[in-house]
Amino acid sequence: MLQKGRTKLLFVVPGIAWVLIFTIFPLLYSLRLSFYQAKMGTPMRFIGLQNYVRAFSDYRWTNAVFVTLFFVFCSVLLTVSLGLGLAMLFNRPIRGQRVFRSLFTIPMFTAPVALGYLGLTMFHEEVGAINTILRALGMLHLPAWFSNVWMARWAIVIVDVWQWTPFCFLVLLAGLAALPEEVYEAAVMDTASGWLIFRYITLPLLSPVLFTVIILRIVEAFKVLDIPFSMTSGGPGAATQTISFYIYLTGLRNFNQGYASALAYLLLIAMVVIATAHFRRMRHSFE
Amino acid sequence: MVQRHQSPVSRVLLWIIILVATTWCIFPFYWAITTSFKTRNDILTRPTLVPWLDFKPTLFNWQNEFGNRWPEISHAIRNSLVIAIGASVLSIGLGTLAGYGLARFRFQRWKNRDMTMFFLSQRFLPPMVTAIPFFLMINWLGLTDTLPGLILANATFTMPFAVLIMRDVFKDMPPEMEESAYVDGASHLQAFWHIALPLAAPAVSAAFIICFAFAWNEFLFGLILSYQNATPVTVVIAGLEHTQGIQFQAVSTRLLLAILPPAILALAAQRYIVRGLTFGAVKG
Repeated sequence: MLQKGRTKLLFVVPGIAWVLIFTIFPLLYSLRLSFYQAKMGTPMRFIGLQNYVRAFSDYRWTNAVFVTLFFVFCSVLLTVSLGLGLAMLFNRPIRGQRVFRSLFTIPMFTAPVALGYLGLTMFHEEVGAINTILRALGMLHLPAWFSNVWMARWAIVIVDVWQWTPFCFLVLLAGLAALPEEVYEAAVMDTASGWLIFRYITLPLLSPVLFTVIILRIVEAFKVLDIPFSMTSGGPGAATQTISFYIYLTGLRNFNQGYASALAYLLLIAMVVIATAHFRRMRHSFE
Repeated sequence: MVQRHQSPVSRVLLWIIILVATTWCIFPFYWAITTSFKTRNDILTRPTLVPWLDFKPTLFNWQNEFGNRWPEISHAIRNSLVIAIGASVLSIGLGTLAGYGLARFRFQRWKNRDMTMFFLSQRFLPPMVTAIPFFLMINWLGLTDTLPGLILANATFTMPFAVLIMRDVFKDMPPEMEESAYVDGASHLQAFWHIALPLAAPAVSAAFIICFAFAWNEFLFGLILSYQNATPVTVVIAGLEHTQGIQFQAVSTRLLLAILPPAILALAAQRYIVRGLTFGAVKG
């Protein structure tokens, strides 16, 4: 491409400046805050790494980490495997495929907060849709979705799975559709086993797309806040209080901003590790 | 795709799974819609699923939503519209420029790929990480509880979509037309504005829709940066009563009002959704 002049800088500088002002600057500011005892109403005081040390003995933080890890693990595993299964099924000429695909995009674009509320009405223990159906199916001991610790955790996982399975489905379907047909034709000549074809041909060829989907899902799942916020309010007790939820309560309800910033940095470090794995692999395509 | 022989049994099985998946996908909406036509009594006495068959639909909730409760929700809808459109315009403006720059020029000091990752990393950042300093910064700027404050926040989070989608689209576009414009003496900006941008118009509108939908659905920053004047729909929804006495029928009308706009718009961006949401990593 042409290299004349410096006008090419005009294209990228505004965007870069924006990120520097509204992301990098806040990040640096909160890094500083994380070394201070900064509680609204009291004078700021430098305390070094004490906020970080404190996190490791804070059982509410450990709980939030555990809840989030459980959520991320279950949600990513379920969305990706269900999405993959559906994509395999749909990867053939099916009448009305376009209609199904459009239908499956809707969940991704529903506001998670609203979805949490919708979940609240659906999981309601007496008159919710889910227990109504389970009752009709003859289940005697209906799950106590909001009063049982584990049921509440599963409830938020289910809502998230509902919302993000379509994403995995659509992306993996696109990935499958892009696989070269010749390989399959050759494979079908050699074996009749669908499993062998899947295991030794589809899966390896699909793995870059699969990896992308998994990383993006992990990153999104770690952000989880809206669904537990509106559906369970973090309860029962703190059973569904995720990392973001706990940071929110610490920093923006109790205004303990120094400690909350330290917690936010711990979350950031985890994200950097995950993002690095993705970026290292994607690097060449960003050229 | 390879045509494999399919027995009638597996055909039936396939359609059963498709039916189940479709039901699973639609049912929550069906539930919200039917609930919005039920009376409080219907909801609390016995669970019902089919209108006319086991409950008598009523327009009462909707009349109430568009009557007594309209001022509150219409204000929030207006706020959400202004925030989502403002944020999308900003991020598309900045993002299209940056995306074009990254696709067409080679930067020396800061490599293209590192710059791209710089933009993308924004999307990997959990919003909670910047929420506290952002809250303080907006406060300091005097923009708390104003629409501009929320527009700034949302533009920051939607810009990576715009940059990455547009970069990908411009990369796929052959550069010959712009090159011939250069021969005629056009500047970079002119070539971009008069030639590349019009060709990319469908992608721009798809990117706009994706940004709009994410800004409309955003909750955390709405919650911490507004309390009265600038509250978006998501925050009003979250403020609904949350106890035993939850008003299902009243909740469901609001949910539908919040859910519908981005969901319907997204259908129009269908072609770009896969590459948009994977930031160009997978072509849809």
